[in-house]
Amino acid sequence: MTDVWARAALWLGLALVATVLSIRLRVATALSEIVVGTVAQLLIGAFIGKALLGTSEGWITFLSGTGAILLTFLAGAELDPTIFRAKWKESLGIGFVSFFAPFLGCAAFAAWVLHWTPQASWLAGVALSTTSVAVVYAVMLELGLNSTNFGKALLAACFVTDLGTVLALGLIFAPFTWRTVAFVGVGAAAMVLLPWLTPRFFRVFGGRPSELEAKFLLLVLFGLGALATWADSEAVLPAYLVGMVLAGTVGKDHALIRRLRTVTFGLLTPFYFIRAGSFVSVPALVAAPGGVLGLLAAKLATKTLGVWPMARFFRYPRTEAAYTTLLMSTGLTFGSISALFGLTHGIITQTQYSILIATVILSAVVPTLVANAFFIPRYLLPQPAPSQPGSADAAMGGGAS
Amino acid sequence: MTQHVKSVRDAGMIPKRILVGFDGSPFAEHAFDMALNLAALAGARLAVVSVATLPEPPGEVETKAALESATEHYEAAYENLRRRAEDRGLTLETRILVGHPAEQIIRLAASTHVDLVVVGHRGRSRISEWVSGSVSKRVVNHAPCSVLVVRSA
Repeated sequence: MTDVWARAALWLGLALVATVLSIRLRVATALSEIVVGTVAQLLIGAFIGKALLGTSEGWITFLSGTGAILLTFLAGAELDPTIFRAKWKESLGIGFVSFFAPFLGCAAFAAWVLHWTPQASWLAGVALSTTSVAVVYAVMLELGLNSTNFGKALLAACFVTDLGTVLALGLIFAPFTWRTVAFVGVGAAAMVLLPWLTPRFFRVFGGRPSELEAKFLLLVLFGLGALATWADSEAVLPAYLVGMVLAGTVGKDHALIRRLRTVTFGLLTPFYFIRAGSFVSVPALVAAPGGVLGLLAAKLATKTLGVWPMARFFRYPRTEAAYTTLLMSTGLTFGSISALFGLTHGIITQTQYSILIATVILSAVVPTLVANAFFIPRYLLPQPAPSQPGSADAAMGGGAS
Repeated sequence: MTQHVKSVRDAGMIPKRILVGFDGSPFAEHAFDMALNLAALAGARLAVVSVATLPEPPGEVETKAALESATEHYEAAYENLRRRAEDRGLTLETRILVGHPAEQIIRLAASTHVDLVVVGHRGRSRISEWVSGSVSKRVVNHAPCSVLVVRSA
């Protein structure tokens, strides 16, 4: 066991370094962990040996995979079903186009320009089809647009886009067999049953120090994850769907969500993101920066081709349409999950993986900068209600919290 | 005296609306005390704004967690500020915004037409200022009204 504890200490040490860096530099912890993983593997590989991190050890793979599953579940649970129901037409329209346009466009770019294999090209399409809900949410809060109809519809559309991404990741690379049918059938039944069963079960047995709620949710996520991988699919697919269907019940239980976040960020996601970063090859990136820039341009162009006309169709003025398009071009978490899935399943090479991770990181930053510099729909900036973070103007305007 | 204060205020020389930038630090506490005294003397309305800065680029789940944590932190601090304001016969208005502190303070000051913004001076090193910028400097340079930068003793 000494090896295991020593290695665990090494990983948690790296996680601590990444967290301190993220606090000092005010960058996302996930991004910091990916970079620390990349640098650590580079240095450890050069001076001690690549095996030291033990990225293929069973228990590290387990913790990393559980991190991805729980993070995806929590991301799905942030959906606001009320907003989605109110804005479903726009959300579905913009969300699906926002998925399909870059999915097809980036896959085509990877296949015809970068000459990647068909499977690798589809994977590139999936990884770059995402939209970062967190980026859009943060920008909406910053501008106070989160309380406007425009902001609500846009946020709901992001969930639809990410749903497209996880569905594509979970189904495209799986061979269509009777196992797939069983997975889809059982999964669909679970999605219908869980919103009814879970709150009732928690009401009877929950609220005790034995943390029944966490055990139940982990049982569901691991069970459906096992079913997904048995069908050669991906465990994050059911996790995201479970998060979405439980968003109106479990997602509203702030105490439970907070406890799950503690486990996720405190132990699990560091293993996931550091491991994801450790697979990035810096020499490969240095050798082929054109691939990164090309894929980034392809993502921005295809998002524009898809989302812009759709936003105009829903009668968004030009500035709003341009702003929507750029914000929908962001992506981080699901992009990196898709890329790591491709690498660990032998769909893409390490060079292709490195290019995708770099593109995904850039796509989380560049579109937001351009959107905020040139396309903010200023006339929409609201006169908001008090007490809710993210909206200016209430103080002194009669509203106090 | 009261008539004199009224005429000076009507002439725009005494603030009617004061906004304090508050980040929970001792410097901000000091700025709040100064603003509280000014508001009590001038009979002005007093508001406090705090700004939650999110990591860049915002990560899934982490963003909401950071926001909730900041909201809890500031709401707890506001309880104390409200009591101190009530002791002086004032009702405190509070606001938590998201984004860059200077930008949000300036935007709020402009949209609510405050007469005076009060901020604390952190007295940071030049390197630290160069890396993350000085909130007070930016507010002084870009606010649409007078700005009082309070130095701690």
